[in-house]
Formats: sequence, structure tokens, C-alpha cells
Amino acid sequence: MSTAVGIKVEEHFHNAEQQRETAKLGMWVFLLTELLLFSGLFVSALVIRVLHPDSVTAVALHLKFWIGATNTAILIVSSFCMSGAIESSRLGLRRPMIFCMLATAGLGVLFLMLKGYEYDRDYVEHMTPFLSFRRYELVGDPASRLFTDLYFVITGLHAIHLTIGIGIMLVMSWLASRPHFLERHQNRIEITGLYWHFIDLIWMIVFPTLYLLNR
Amino acid sequence: MPPELIRQLRTPFLTMLTLLALLGINVVLGIFFITGDMWIAEVAIAAAMVATVIVVAMEAHKEPPLIRLFAGLGFFWVAILFTLTMIDYATR
Repeated sequence: MSTAVGIKVEEHFHNAEQQRETAKLGMWVFLLTELLLFSGLFVSALVIRVLHPDSVTAVALHLKFWIGATNTAILIVSSFCMSGAIESSRLGLRRPMIFCMLATAGLGVLFLMLKGYEYDRDYVEHMTPFLSFRRYELVGDPASRLFTDLYFVITGLHAIHLTIGIGIMLVMSWLASRPHFLERHQNRIEITGLYWHFIDLIWMIVFPTLYLLNR
Repeated sequence: MPPELIRQLRTPFLTMLTLLALLGINVVLGIFFITGDMWIAEVAIAAAMVATVIVVAMEAHKEPPLIRLFAGLGFFWVAILFTLTMIDYATR
């Protein structure tokens, strides 16, 4: 059963449309700063690749290509679930919307579990040069430390963003389960969706940058 | 599932299939074609995936001009970052 959909207009906005556009613009500006944050890391990876191609290839051969590819597919499906939540919210379908948001969060958790498994394999295979108490597998190749450390920084930063996204998704699911949510705050689902799609987008750059191009 | 929702989900579903297909192509290239200039195709496919997410999934094409401007500005600054940095390293 569908419910009414809308936005409670705050006093400093002329109308709901202006409030909706302002919220979206604010989110896009925030995502722009996030893009620049990650881009600094991507350009660092490219510079290391140009300066030390053999060292980077040696590290890339230790990365779990299939886990990276599977995680990309998981995030693509999660983005579809998020789109499902947004479309449901536009139609005032509360139950499908909450189901889609929980599915999105679940796929995010699955991504983190696979990432955790990959980190565990890295630890077992002595690919953690930042741990001073542990032997490093490519100890004879100092330049490889740079790329391995950068791999952990980039994927770790992405994992932090994903964890925040999962948290937001769960909170929004809880808020959306309350009556009259869609009548007053439908645009919050769309804003949340923008953030989730962005996390997906960043991983689409991380996967080729770390796993694909350096093999 | 209400038919109206199924109708609305057609575009997101096709987007997902497109992205999975592009990922599949990149994975195949990464496994079987690891030498030569294949990286150009891999980067082009990744760029196509990013553009698909921004334009279709994030619905940038439906947004007003100001929002589209900010969405484009992000990548404009990224382009400046990459270009200036790589000009430095490529000409040393």
C-alpha cells in the first residue's frame, strides 16, 4: 500500500522544490570534496606505477584479483538495490523501500567481509610492510612498500566510507519505518542514495587502479 | 511487487546489467590480455562505468544546470590534478 510522498518545507525555503535542489546540491559539493580526497591517492598510485613499474607489478600479483572483481559486482548490485529504494520512496511504497535499503546494507556488509578475508590473506602472506614486527614478503624491493602501503590506505579509506554508508542505511531504514516519514522526508532517501552510488563509483576506480592495470 | 515499481526499475536494472557486462569485459582483459596497450581499453571501460553511474544511477542528467555544473567541476579538477602531475613526471 502506498503512502503520501513529500517534503516538509523548512522556513528558510520558498518551496519543496527549492529545498530538494539545495539538499542535492549540498550533497554533490560534499561528494566533490570526497572525489578530490581519493584522487590524491589515485594520482599517487599512478606516480609510483610510472617510477617503479616492476615493484608495482610484484605487489599486484599478490593482490586477490577475484576478490576485487567480486566486490565490484557486489557494489554494482547494491547500487541497483539503492535505486530500488529510491524508486519505491518516490511511489510511496514504504515496505519495498525499507527492504531495498536493508538489502543494500547487507551487500555492503558482504563486501566488507570479503575485504576482511583479503586483508587476512595479506597478513598470512606477509604483505603488510607497515607492521614492523612482521617479516615483509618483498623485503628486497623497497619501492614495493610504497604501493603496498598505498593499497591499504586506499582500500581502508574506502572501507571506512562504506561502513559509514551502511550505518546511514540502517539509520534511514529505522527512521523510514516510522509513520509519516515519506510524507515529510522523502528527499533524504535520494540524498542517501547519492552517497551510496558514490561509494560504488569510487570502487570502480579503485579496482582498475590497484588490481587490474598493474598485473 | 507493484507493476508501477517494476516499470520504474527498468532503467536501474538495465544500468546494473550494463555495468556488470563492462566489469566482465575488464576482468577478461585483465586475465587474458595483460601485456601491450590493453590498459588503454581497461581505462576506457572503467571511465565508461564511472560515467554510467554519474549520469544514469546518480541521475545527473535530470538535475538542474547548477548541480550538473558541480558534478562536472569535480572531474575537471581531477583532470587538472592528473594532467599537471603527470606532465611533471613524464618530462623529467
